[in-house]
Amino acid sequence: MLFFSRIRELTSLSEETVEISDGATLEDLFQHYVRLYPKLGGFRASLVASRNQEFSAWGTRIAAGDEIAFLPPVSGG
Amino acid sequence: MAEKQASDTFHLVHTAIDSGALVQCVRGEGDGAIVTFDGFVRNESYGRPTKYLEYEAYEPMALLKMREIGQQLRQKYAIDRLAIVHRLGHLEVGETSVFIAVSAPHRGAAFDACRFAIDTLKRTVPIWKKEYFEDGAMWADGELPPAPPRAETAS
Repeated sequence: MLFFSRIRELTSLSEETVEISDGATLEDLFQHYVRLYPKLGGFRASLVASRNQEFSAWGTRIAAGDEIAFLPPVSGG
Repeated sequence: MAEKQASDTFHLVHTAIDSGALVQCVRGEGDGAIVTFDGFVRNESYGRPTKYLEYEAYEPMALLKMREIGQQLRQKYAIDRLAIVHRLGHLEVGETSVFIAVSAPHRGAAFDACRFAIDTLKRTVPIWKKEYFEDGAMWADGELPPAPPRAETAS
């Protein structure tokens, strides 16, 4: 897991390894973090998930070793 | 991937961007035009004076997305070379945060490609900007990247 911008600040995490059950989706992983950081739930609609550096649908299943992030709206430029 | 991609420049940097060097870098003998975009730190945001900005990126993914922009440009426009450089970290008002240079044999393609490059970067490249004011700081609103396909399954 990687954390950026307001999600990094909210969780005080930059990166960590997490174990989740087989067949879990990006949404399941997100809900895992909502349980740990309830305020995260309020950001759900404004986040896009990435899996292995590609934007991915929330229903995407996670495999061992995947690199996951929940990305806030981007504001480069 | 078009063969020209090898000559393109995609960088994330933590020091001042040398825009003059990037313009030289895209200038080819067969070209007739270079169009550049210089994005720099404005002195205010919604009427509040800006003190400085901090940029952060998901660096490997940001570079991947910048390279994808290059591939899209080559599919859409008859351009020669491309350079996209984004600066990260602490930036003062007036400093360049992003610089894009596109060369082409003819100006139309260079103008169109440069516009497409900055518009796409602002929507798809995972970079975030935090604005610092006299009385606080906030993350810029930003844009949500296009929704990925719904029915995607693990591969």
